[in-house]
Amino acid sequence: MGFGVALLLGLLYTLHPVLREAIRALNTVLQSISVLIWIVVLVMVFGVLSPLPPILVASLVALPIVLAAVVAGLDSSSRKLAELATMLGANKLQYYRDFLLPSLAPSLAGATRSALGAALRISVVAEAFGSSGGIGYMIANYYNLAEPRGVFAWGTILVVVMILLDKLLLEPLEKRAARWSIEA
Amino acid sequence: MEHRGIALRVTSIYKSFGGRLVLNGVSIEARRGEVVAIVGPNGSGKTTLLRIIAGLEKPDKGRVEIHGRALLVFQENLLLPWKKLRDNIALGLVYAGLPRREIERKVSEAAKLLGLTEYLDKYPWQVSGGTARKAAIARILVLDPDILLLDEPLAGLDIRTRRALLERIVAIAHEKGKTVIVVDHSVEAVAPYADRIYIMSYPPTRVEASIDLRKTEPGKRLSLVYGVLSELGRRETLGTTRGEPRAGT
Repeated sequence: MGFGVALLLGLLYTLHPVLREAIRALNTVLQSISVLIWIVVLVMVFGVLSPLPPILVASLVALPIVLAAVVAGLDSSSRKLAELATMLGANKLQYYRDFLLPSLAPSLAGATRSALGAALRISVVAEAFGSSGGIGYMIANYYNLAEPRGVFAWGTILVVVMILLDKLLLEPLEKRAARWSIEA
Repeated sequence: MEHRGIALRVTSIYKSFGGRLVLNGVSIEARRGEVVAIVGPNGSGKTTLLRIIAGLEKPDKGRVEIHGRALLVFQENLLLPWKKLRDNIALGLVYAGLPRREIERKVSEAAKLLGLTEYLDKYPWQVSGGTARKAAIARILVLDPDILLLDEPLAGLDIRTRRALLERIVAIAHEKGKTVIVVDHSVEAVAPYADRIYIMSYPPTRVEASIDLRKTEPGKRLSLVYGVLSELGRRETLGTTRGEPRAGT
């Protein structure tokens, strides 16, 4: 969700200088809001039993990381690519489809790797605060029952899941996307 | 006809960036089928001049008269790494809505002309810098421009690749009647291949010398240009590119 919203904001970023400044400001605000605030507010809004707070918190944590990467990618490549697209006679849609969006792949892949790691870690905290399931909930549950073995077991599962996700999916994805860097 | 044979005429172009005058009344011209080299030090506004000719930049003052279509090959290759060379070269033809068979024919023709045929199914990150450069040129060449603008096409290439590339560019200009404007910072690289060479001054840039090389044998062109550069006291500033052997050695 954070990824999709970041991409959408990134596209808006290319449309007008005013939008560009607004999106930069929005990202600064998002980066400065504590995760704790998001968790408390979302649990209050959706309730303890809702599965939404962990999902939304993960998205809100991922969003500024991915958005910063999208903005950096756009700033570094869009002018020259836009000129090339013009030179070749591409229309706006062709420019976005063939040039701009694929050119964001390397920075997006790197940011996704960081964002997903951060989002997973934070979503566990959100689950512990207010949820009826998930690794965070189980860790909090065993903590309340004073069962350290349960806490360590679920903690280990979390670490293994994160390592597997990184090594089997995110790292290969990042390496593959690095080939898509436009060379001078 | 008054302009018979003239492909490009740039008259008294002025351009400033942030209050800093870069082009100070630059005038150049090129005839059809000519290879024209514009040589000047780094930062002398050569790229800006090409961008003005290509319509990517507007001059503050002056006139650009183009007979036909002028397309620029950027200093950076800007090949799309997610597309094979074949698809990179075909991009402009696809956007022009040409039938697939026609696109394939034009791409093959351009690839043959530039010695790219065996690399067409490779991705840009699988080929050398020289091959990528040729593909960037082919991508513009298939669009059949009347004037081909090349911004430092030799940058980063070894001396052998430079020569091979320039020989092909000269052949394209002379055989297909294309006007080629090539910008570089070293006279040695381009003088033996150019029909005319413009020497640019330090910024704010003006044309310091225009040398017609058409009646001079390719092997003697560099000496002629060196003679002019010596008179201008510029030989050292526009001579051998650092770390590269001189042409013919």
